[in-house]
Amino acid sequence: MSVLLPIGTRKGLFLLRGNGSWEVEGPLLPGWAVYHAMVDPRDGTLHAATNNPFYGATVHRSGDGGASWERAEELGLPEGGELKLNATWHIEPGSGSELWLGGDPGVLFRSDDGGVTWELNGALFEHPTRDRWQPGAGGMCTHSIQLSDGAMYVGISAAGAFRSDDEGASWTPINKNVAAEFMPDPHPEVGQCVHKLLVHPQRPDRLWQQNHCGVYRSDDRGDNWERLDGNGLPTSFGFPLALDPQDPDVAYVIPEQSQELHYTAEGRLGVYRTDDGGASWALASEGLPERAWVAVLREGLAFDDDSIYFGTQSGAVWAAPRGGGRWTEIARDLPPILSVEAAQA
Amino acid sequence: MAVVLLPAVLAAEAGGQKRFELDAGTVGDALRQLPVRNLLFDEAGELRRLINVFVDGIDVRGGRLLEEELRPDSEVRVVGAVAGG
Repeated sequence: MSVLLPIGTRKGLFLLRGNGSWEVEGPLLPGWAVYHAMVDPRDGTLHAATNNPFYGATVHRSGDGGASWERAEELGLPEGGELKLNATWHIEPGSGSELWLGGDPGVLFRSDDGGVTWELNGALFEHPTRDRWQPGAGGMCTHSIQLSDGAMYVGISAAGAFRSDDEGASWTPINKNVAAEFMPDPHPEVGQCVHKLLVHPQRPDRLWQQNHCGVYRSDDRGDNWERLDGNGLPTSFGFPLALDPQDPDVAYVIPEQSQELHYTAEGRLGVYRTDDGGASWALASEGLPERAWVAVLREGLAFDDDSIYFGTQSGAVWAAPRGGGRWTEIARDLPPILSVEAAQA
Repeated sequence: MAVVLLPAVLAAEAGGQKRFELDAGTVGDALRQLPVRNLLFDEAGELRRLINVFVDGIDVRGGRLLEEELRPDSEVRVVGAVAGG
C-alpha cells in the first residue's frame, strides 16, 4: 500500500511518498511555516495550517495533490475585539462534511465549504473560564481536536482540555487530576498545559494526553485522568503522542529533558512505548541514535494501520513498523519539522 | 495608474502576479484592491505590523501610511520588514 506523509516544516510543506522506497516532493507553499497539514480522507484534499511572520495566519488547500493551492477567504476574530488571530495550528475533518481548525489564541473555527470560509466557535471563544487561560511558550494554541462517538474534544495550551457533547455549542473543562504544577493551585479547573490529546479510534471512551506535567489516560471520556509517568519514562515532560489504532493499551511518547531543556531526554533519541495502558513504559528505539539532543514537536508524531512516523526539528523523518520494530530514517536534511501526518496515497 | 509591486511570497498568493496597475488615490486604496489584501491587513483592518510600504522610494510608515496620496505614476512597493540578522 502506498503511503503519503505530509510533512509541515518551518519553510514549507514536503510530501513523502512511500511504496517500498521513499520519495520527497517539495517544498510546496514556500515561505509559509506549515504548523500542520493533512489529507482529508473524505475527498483527498490537502489542507495546511500556514503561518508567516509578515502576512499572518491562514489555511491553504489543494485539490490536486499540491500542484496548486487556494487560500481561505474569510478567517479571523471578530472586528473590534481585543484579540487577533495569531496562528493556525491544527486542521481536523469533522464527523459530517465539516472541517475544524484550531488556532491561537485558544480558538476554534468550523468550515462548511471545504475550507473557503471559517466561522469562529463562539462557545469556546466566550468560554466563562477564558480569563484563567494563559499562553504557554508556543502561544495559547488549540492544537488538539478530536471527534469521536458524538463527542468533540479540544486541547489548548495552557487552558486545558475541554469536551463538547453538543457539537460545539458548549464546552466542559475535563482536567480532573491533571496537574498544573506551575500554578498556585496545582489542580485547578482550567489552566493545565495540554501538549497533545488523542482519543483511541476503536475505544472512544479512552483518551490519552501528553501534558506539560505528565502523561495521562482517561477511560471515561476525560471526566477523570490517571497520571502514568514515573514508571519507565525518563521524564514526565514532552510534546508528541501516538497510539496504536488496533490496540487501545498501546501508546508512544518521546520525552524531553525538562520544561527548560527542550531536547530529548537523557541525551538520546528515545521513543517510549507502553503496551499495558501506561502502567509501564519501555524504550522502543532500535535503530535510533543513542547520542542525540533533538526535539520532536507536538504535531511531529503520526501513525497509521501499519507504521508510526516522526519528524525532528533537525529535519529527519523516521518510520518504524507498528508493534515496536526497527526505526529507519526515511528522509533527512529537511527544514525544521513542525508536523507529520500519515495518509493513504 | 499607480503601480504596486509585491514580494515573492505575496506574488505567489496572487496567482504569480507581481505587478499590479491600479487606479487608486491613496496607498490604502491601492492595497485594498489587491487579491492578497487579507494577508496585508489583519481582521481589524490594520496593516500588519511587519509590512512596510515604500512609495517612490520613501517609507510611508514614517508618513501618513495608508492615507499617503498617490500620483498617477506612483510606484508602491510592499516589503517585509527586515527584522533580525
